[in-house]
Amino acid sequence: MTGYVVRRVLWLVPVLWAVATITFILMHAVPGGPFTQEKPLPQSIINALNARYNLNEPLWKQYVLYLWHILHLDLGLSFRGDRDVAELIRAGFFVTVQLGFLGFLVAAVLGLTLGVFSALNQNGPMDYIGVFFATVGASLPNFVLAAFLIIIFAVKLGWFDVLGWGGPTQIGDALDPGAWHLKKMVLPIIAVAALPAAYIARVTRASMLEVLSQDYIRTAHAKGLANYVVILRHAIKNAMIPVLTIMGPTAAVLVTGSFIIETTFAIPGVGRAFVDAVLRRDYAMIMGSTLFYTAIVAFANLVVDVLYAVVDPRIRYR
Amino acid sequence: MEAQTELAETGWELPTRERSLWSDAFYRLTRNRLAMGGLAVLLVVGAIAIASGYVEDLRRYHPYQDQDYQHLQEGPSGRHFFGTDNLGRDNWSRVLTGMGISIEIGLGTQAFVLLFGLAVGAAAALGGRISDNLLMRLTDITYAFPDLLFIILMRSVLSERHWPLLENPRLQVMLAIAMVNWTTLARLVRGQMLSLAERDYVVAARALGASNRRIVFRHMLPNTLGPVIVAVTFGIPIAIFAEAALGFIGFGLPPPTASLGRLVSDGYTYIQVNTWVVAFPAGAIAMLMLCFTFLGDGLRDALDPRLR
Amino acid sequence: MLSSRWRLPFLIGALITMVALLAMACGGGEEKKEGATPTKAAGGEKAPADQQVLIVQQNEPEYFDPHRSNFEQDISIEKMLFRGLYQLVPAEDGGVKVEPAMADGEPQVSGNVYTIKLKSGLKWSDGQPLIAQHYADGILRSCSPDVASPYQYILGASILGIEGCDEYFGALGSAEEPKSPTPEELKTLRDAVGVKAVDDTTLEVTLLQPKSTFTTIMSLWSAFPARQDIIDKYGEKWTDPGNIVVNGPYTMTEFVPKDHVTLEPNPNWALEPKPTIQKLTIKFIDDTSVAFRAYQTGEIDIVNFPESEIPTVKADPKLNEAYLLEGTGRMDAVEMQLKDPTLSDFNVRLAISRAIDRKTLNDVVYNGSSIPATYWLVQGIPGYQGNEPFESIIGYDPEAAKKALADAGYPDGQGFPDVKLLMRDDAVQRSLAEFLQNQWKTVLNVNIGLEFVDAKTRSSRFNSQDFQLYRGGWQIDYPDPENPLIGLFDTGGGNNMYNCSDPDIDAKLKAAATETNEAARIKLLQDAETLIVTKLCGVAPITQLARVYLVNTKIGGLTPNGAIDSGLPGNWGVEHWFVKAQ
Repeated sequence: MTGYVVRRVLWLVPVLWAVATITFILMHAVPGGPFTQEKPLPQSIINALNARYNLNEPLWKQYVLYLWHILHLDLGLSFRGDRDVAELIRAGFFVTVQLGFLGFLVAAVLGLTLGVFSALNQNGPMDYIGVFFATVGASLPNFVLAAFLIIIFAVKLGWFDVLGWGGPTQIGDALDPGAWHLKKMVLPIIAVAALPAAYIARVTRASMLEVLSQDYIRTAHAKGLANYVVILRHAIKNAMIPVLTIMGPTAAVLVTGSFIIETTFAIPGVGRAFVDAVLRRDYAMIMGSTLFYTAIVAFANLVVDVLYAVVDPRIRYR
Repeated sequence: MEAQTELAETGWELPTRERSLWSDAFYRLTRNRLAMGGLAVLLVVGAIAIASGYVEDLRRYHPYQDQDYQHLQEGPSGRHFFGTDNLGRDNWSRVLTGMGISIEIGLGTQAFVLLFGLAVGAAAALGGRISDNLLMRLTDITYAFPDLLFIILMRSVLSERHWPLLENPRLQVMLAIAMVNWTTLARLVRGQMLSLAERDYVVAARALGASNRRIVFRHMLPNTLGPVIVAVTFGIPIAIFAEAALGFIGFGLPPPTASLGRLVSDGYTYIQVNTWVVAFPAGAIAMLMLCFTFLGDGLRDALDPRLR
Repeated sequence: MLSSRWRLPFLIGALITMVALLAMACGGGEEKKEGATPTKAAGGEKAPADQQVLIVQQNEPEYFDPHRSNFEQDISIEKMLFRGLYQLVPAEDGGVKVEPAMADGEPQVSGNVYTIKLKSGLKWSDGQPLIAQHYADGILRSCSPDVASPYQYILGASILGIEGCDEYFGALGSAEEPKSPTPEELKTLRDAVGVKAVDDTTLEVTLLQPKSTFTTIMSLWSAFPARQDIIDKYGEKWTDPGNIVVNGPYTMTEFVPKDHVTLEPNPNWALEPKPTIQKLTIKFIDDTSVAFRAYQTGEIDIVNFPESEIPTVKADPKLNEAYLLEGTGRMDAVEMQLKDPTLSDFNVRLAISRAIDRKTLNDVVYNGSSIPATYWLVQGIPGYQGNEPFESIIGYDPEAAKKALADAGYPDGQGFPDVKLLMRDDAVQRSLAEFLQNQWKTVLNVNIGLEFVDAKTRSSRFNSQDFQLYRGGWQIDYPDPENPLIGLFDTGGGNNMYNCSDPDIDAKLKAAATETNEAARIKLLQDAETLIVTKLCGVAPITQLARVYLVNTKIGGLTPNGAIDSGLPGNWGVEHWFVKAQ
């Protein structure tokens, strides 16, 4: 197992390199550069700007320069105001991970509870309600859901606020209770958690149903164990295996940020910053964010694969 | 299954009458009311959508060209079943046409996903350790690569190049979504095939001297198809969603083509002025989603031999 | 190993811890800096209302450095931080006038030399005196090749014409022919720029020839003063809160990238009135629908909302009270590539223009908020002629449109070749495009295709002239009729992407550039406009755009900007704002 983990970590390096190269090529293949605009800048100015940011060098040279800087952990400067890319990503990620993590918690708790109760009351009223919510949550595109939530709960009823992120935007504020405004956090978290919760609920339900039909459950009942003991000690644990499989990618998706939700609530996260950078052809920011994103996802994949192997003794990695 | 026919050829008789996997699955599927319901709705909707392209009365108005400036942003009425949008176009006709386009996108995308996923997954499982490693790293790279960036870049690059086949924007969108979604299927196929390779009947077939090709096509592939079909079915609404999200940022199908996703993201701007213009296409997406989900559930239950 | 029953919770705990650790480990340096301590405003006779305002601006600024800025979102904030020798103020008649700001009265003109006297006792926010040299430094920065200011051309020979500015700017050559001047050569070029501080309160500017637009241009951001010592000390970071030194009514105390910027009054602001608002927070939200909803929940005070929501606003009494319609200096037009074989025929262009029902377009696409237009010089600047001279020539007339198309050789649209309209993909642009496409179909029976690309791709294709029809226009940089004409319609002009090349137009523009008599100059520019519009030389105007805002009624003293709108109403005079007593 250790060998497997080590090998996977080592593979990260060529993967990152491949991603960086593909991004670089595609980025420069797309028309328009960071200084292209409708009211064209006079050529002398474009020349001066290009010189400033080394955009006049031949492409291969820019590529090599960039890789060289990466090895020194220098992600470069964003064209927007010459701000440090690493700094921007760090600040954005801090907010995105709060949203993602809380969203994941809510989705997991909601989904698991709904799924378990639905399975326990199969075909009963609880089941239908559960399935209904699960399907509804999964049927609406999340920006539509977000818009409806905002209009009903914030604009019409005034229960919640919609602007920005209710948690601390700077790391120093994390422990300051004044920096947490729950009123602002509720709607974005619900919007982000709805689809994963629905999905988790469905998988949990199916998995619970399958486990409950197994012989060892029947044996446990026959042994005279109380119902709740049977469920807690035997059923849930075994039902978790397939659920864990999907929770991994779900967590990765949530943590890397949803651009749509961040835009809808004006949350200064890394998802929004990234799409913005692509649309503005901010090369340094695009490369930095892509590498960062890739590293996170690859790492999350690895964690899930390891967890899967640990939890299910039948799986063996060569 | 074909294994039985082989058995039959050798003259052995089995004591009981067994159904093949497929007819057994079909039997169970047709018994599943939800799945059948979903399939029925899909077929009906698909038929109406296609027909509305030819039968004017069904559609009642042209989805792009009939712009009635006297009746902007109206709710449902006798004249306009689903109301009108900001340019006075009839929502009923737009939703109908949109459903057709969305289903087309969903199916088209999944066709590509099937192609890539099956090819890469099978090659990885069967090709030996090195090719397995390489191909799995390929999926890692594709999986890790930010979807959105890839789609935006692909669409931008392709729209400039004017390459003959790839110029069609629908094809571009389908390819773009497929390119970021095929990895899950590839992993699934690989996982299935790897575990199938150890199964008794495969070992037996090999022992009996069957060629590799025969083993793959007659034994492994058909058994892989079960979960693959389920995954592809579930992938269709995901593709529809993805197109909607793309439309939201401005990289979906170009106007005036209106898929359901485009209708929703267009209507989103007017959501407070005229909620109907979002509600109906969103409802249509939800309905399609439900149908495909029920169908997928039914297929999975039917094809999974472990469930009673 | 742990017994099996604990494995699962342990793993979940481990997962959670890992993510938490990841988040914390990524933490590090901090941005929140302490800024200048806020002081109470001097003019506090308004009732004890909470003098705080939260505004939404659509785009995040790139820079707070006025000599490097290019976009209105940057300039909008810089106007609150800095002030030039002169300033533009909205006039009673809806136009704009120029007033002395830091300057003491009008400049003395002697030949090509303009002498400006500064007021006495001016200070920067850090207490240092504000002297003429600082204004000279500002202009030098705008002409400097190292700073690479996108607006250098306004001070250069094509517009204002400060002596030596272009030569200094071109000191490093171009990508094809780079030059490497020695430090001495650079210094010589720099000293040769025609701006000098004779003493601490006198500034001398030498132009290539006298210009009546002098004071107007001296009020723009390119001529804002600069503190070279601060810039040298902090380098790129000189605009960070805590480092930045300003001479305007407000200074910046906090900046969170991608989120907001906070401004507080500058205690050393020299002019009257002293700012009343104690805290001005400007948040950046690119989606106007999102901003609109945040206004409705009471979270923000001023917002630019989308035109699509105008009916919602008008239907709600409380929102309607806060509704502000502000005309802008932006013209919207269908631009036509004259090099294209189909569009080079005047009759085709005439048909295209006459088939557009501008009034209905305004009602349907903009909910009536903009002005249907067949003119090019915007309302609010001198020289505005309005629709009257042009309506009957290029305005909506379906019969005339059909006839023009037939004259061009495509009766009833037969045989009309493939023509595409290049658009950006966002909500209003989509509506506009689909509307136009429908008009051309119903009136002319031609199928004009729509091409939607993202903003950068579109700009790139525009600049390389790779388009047929393009929805473009022009937003004026300063309130003078030369701005939307010179460079756009003269043969070979830097912004002339549609290849308008007409000797009569060239003659008028050339004459106007050198004409010293103000009335004659305006007349020449109007003649140029008439020629351009009636010949449809590259553009067919459609509307003059407006912006719609919601301004919380608790805010007083806000005078709309009119033609000099840059995304935030009243930002030219932010020191006049106050929050009314509740």
